[in-house]
Amino acid sequence: MTRGTPSRPFLLSALLTLSLAASLAACGGAVTGAGAGGGAGDGASGTPRRGGTLVLGENGDEPACLDPHQLSATNTTVVDRPIFDSLLWQDPAGKLHPWLASSWKVSPDGLTYTFELRHGVKFHDGSAWNAEALKANFEHMRDPATKSPLAAAYIAPYKDAEVTGEYTLEVRLATPYSAFLNVLAQSYLGMISAKQIKEAPQTTCEHPIGSGPFVFGKWVKGQNITYRRNPDYTWGPPGAAHTGPAYLDGLEIRFLAEDATRYNALASGEVNVIDNTPPVNVPDVKSDPGLRFASIERPGHPFSIWLNTSRAPFDDVRVRRAITLAVDRRAIVDSVSFGQWKVAGGFVTPSTPDYAGDPEGKISHDEAEANRLLDEAGWKRGPDGIRVKDGRRLTAVALDTGAVPQNTQILVQAQAAAAKAGLQVKIESVTSQVQSDRTASGDFDISVGIWTTNTADVLWIQYSSANITTPDRRGQNTTRLDDPELDRLLDDARKATDEKTRAGLYTRAQARLIDLAPAIPLYNRPSLVSRQSTVQGLGWDNAYGAVNFYDTWLDR
Amino acid sequence: MNRVLRLIGWRLLAGAGVLWGAATLSFLVIQFTPGDPAQAIVGGENAAPTPEVIAQVTREYGLDRPWYEQYLSHLGRVLHGDLGTSYRLHEPVTQAIGEQAGATVELALAAAVVALTLSVAVALATARRRRWVRGAASGAELLVASTPSFWLGILLLTVFSFGLRILPATGSHGFRSLILPAFALALPIAGVLGHVLREALEEVLEEPFIVSARTRGLADLTVRLRHALRHALTPLVTMSGYWVGALLGGAVITETLFTRQGIGRLLISAVDAKDLPVVLGVVLLSAGIYVLVNLVVDLLYLVIDPRLREVPAAAGRVVEGAA
Repeated sequence: MTRGTPSRPFLLSALLTLSLAASLAACGGAVTGAGAGGGAGDGASGTPRRGGTLVLGENGDEPACLDPHQLSATNTTVVDRPIFDSLLWQDPAGKLHPWLASSWKVSPDGLTYTFELRHGVKFHDGSAWNAEALKANFEHMRDPATKSPLAAAYIAPYKDAEVTGEYTLEVRLATPYSAFLNVLAQSYLGMISAKQIKEAPQTTCEHPIGSGPFVFGKWVKGQNITYRRNPDYTWGPPGAAHTGPAYLDGLEIRFLAEDATRYNALASGEVNVIDNTPPVNVPDVKSDPGLRFASIERPGHPFSIWLNTSRAPFDDVRVRRAITLAVDRRAIVDSVSFGQWKVAGGFVTPSTPDYAGDPEGKISHDEAEANRLLDEAGWKRGPDGIRVKDGRRLTAVALDTGAVPQNTQILVQAQAAAAKAGLQVKIESVTSQVQSDRTASGDFDISVGIWTTNTADVLWIQYSSANITTPDRRGQNTTRLDDPELDRLLDDARKATDEKTRAGLYTRAQARLIDLAPAIPLYNRPSLVSRQSTVQGLGWDNAYGAVNFYDTWLDR
Repeated sequence: MNRVLRLIGWRLLAGAGVLWGAATLSFLVIQFTPGDPAQAIVGGENAAPTPEVIAQVTREYGLDRPWYEQYLSHLGRVLHGDLGTSYRLHEPVTQAIGEQAGATVELALAAAVVALTLSVAVALATARRRRWVRGAASGAELLVASTPSFWLGILLLTVFSFGLRILPATGSHGFRSLILPAFALALPIAGVLGHVLREALEEVLEEPFIVSARTRGLADLTVRLRHALRHALTPLVTMSGYWVGALLGGAVITETLFTRQGIGRLLISAVDAKDLPVVLGVVLLSAGIYVLVNLVVDLLYLVIDPRLREVPAAAGRVVEGAA
């Protein structure tokens, strides 16, 4: 479960913002259309120029390691995509295209994937990309010694692979897994030099070697990572605006933990681009003639309030629907994001392949209906307004770590809405370790979280009964939903070898979830990227929803 | 000289006790913190470790052995200077701390120089001066002493980085990037020290030996520098516990605010990721620094006040007083 990106010392940021408000008010000017184009690189003008080093201000969530297979951190794509290419590339519409794989074939039983690989690709250490290299990467992801927190799980059905030609690899799965190709487009499953994996696996964290448009330079922990252009790069992703090496000579990613420092570093020209623009500053960026703004929504499961369906009161679907109806999601999301996050329409975000448009608008705000459902479920108003049934009060325990101020605000506002409907929410402040343990053991009623991944298989991760935590295995089904019909739909979708069939199954699963109401979807988390107007050609990695610098150039 | 050696001996023994206590406490905290450490090691956000990965981690970190075995090997490791392996960084804690220590030492030393220079200069210039001069100095000291260093940092950033744009807002390379953080960290400390120093100076300046120095015709500045200052320095040394603590604690915030490398940044990420070995490594390091500072302070007393070297009762007092 992710905690999200907002900065830690909230007070600090708030104070800094206030202290700077006056000086920045002076910078306000004409409103310019920002982020109107298809990608982040809107309004690219003139001929791209080679040269220069771009500095990106990232938030303080610095990865602990740069080996993508050893990471689950949110910023993995931003820091690793410059270095690592993937087997496939996902376009903005969610379609998969050849990248380091030139083509692939799936057997009718969905158990064998045959990859034909691109010729002429070289890793930064000079070693060649071939079928052996791909196999070494799969084995590295799966090897328990790699301690992979995510990649290993994403290729869990991988059984073995056979090199059938210099550039041909036959991969066998233990069970059909239709999301296999999708996850291969994510940077978490980026391709590492096989030579490094074999000869010096202990160096992949500190000195990552990939085949990407930028070569890793230096990592000063707690501060920045620098990269330089890969002059041999001729295998850019198919959606890119150009071919050949990157335009930028170099790239620097600086970790600026303070929201306000990050924003002001951009406003004062100390950095060229910032990721995780503080939502409160987005209007400032939009009104500054020297700055541009763009955003992309991340695929996967929207940020949601989880309801524990395995115990009272949320074991009753009417109570779950009632609290969903009682909460004014738009008001909550607008207030915590200053209007910068979009309210979620369903259980997967629109930028996810196999997203179904139908459920949009089906999750509504209707207090009368919420009250009616609770009446129907037998919960009658007590003297203090809280409902009672069989001598039991209608109460729910919410867990909150206080680490992310927005999450606390969300719970407090949901608490107020629930109270109006006669449901008392008790917010317990706990440490993140206690929260994670109690969520895993089901000792809670309400919790919050999000899961970003580029496949509707996220529904299997979050809601399949196979993913309810047991003493032997920790799963991600936080709501502990156990619905045979949904299980069947999600399992069939995993087995589907035909895209249409799969999409149909996921559409039904999404509709089923609206009925089951195991969670209250709140918002689709975006990447909010701001830049100097001299930065041209920013792109996106659509498989995660993160900024990408392959096409970027500086207009000086 | 015997007395000095005995003092050092006692101090080192007590220091060893403190470190053993810190090491034991740190082990207990790790052991009895709720939650599976294996989850913390491969956990973190958005993580879905497979059972095979959890099993590997449990074996590799020795989490499946009984607690007393883990305690003894933990103590043994600490004795050998091994603080364990970071959950988050998957590298030795000593290495993680070593990579970051230089930047923190640089910042703390720079801030100490700024704080001491400022406080001594202001105290010398304003002690026993006209009422409004002392009032103004005292007011300014109170103001900076009661201002949190992050707020000061924000002001400095606003003026010098984002406003005038003459100093960098972030980074830890070169002298220029050191100026703002050093002042942000030093000013509150300088405020407290300046206050204490002036009061001590004023007391000393009324002593008979000062009057006799003046009657010999010495200039005011000479009297202050040569005769009064040495006596007034004792409280500054006594307060070293305070300002070393303030430097270490303040570094956490200052490093975050100015995006500097350092132990403070390391500690914050470690706390965030439940990386207990790193947190406790920093605790152990801090305990070690305090032990060292106390030892140095006791020795400094002997340097500043020669009487302590000769009068047995006085030396004894120092040992007890500082223990």
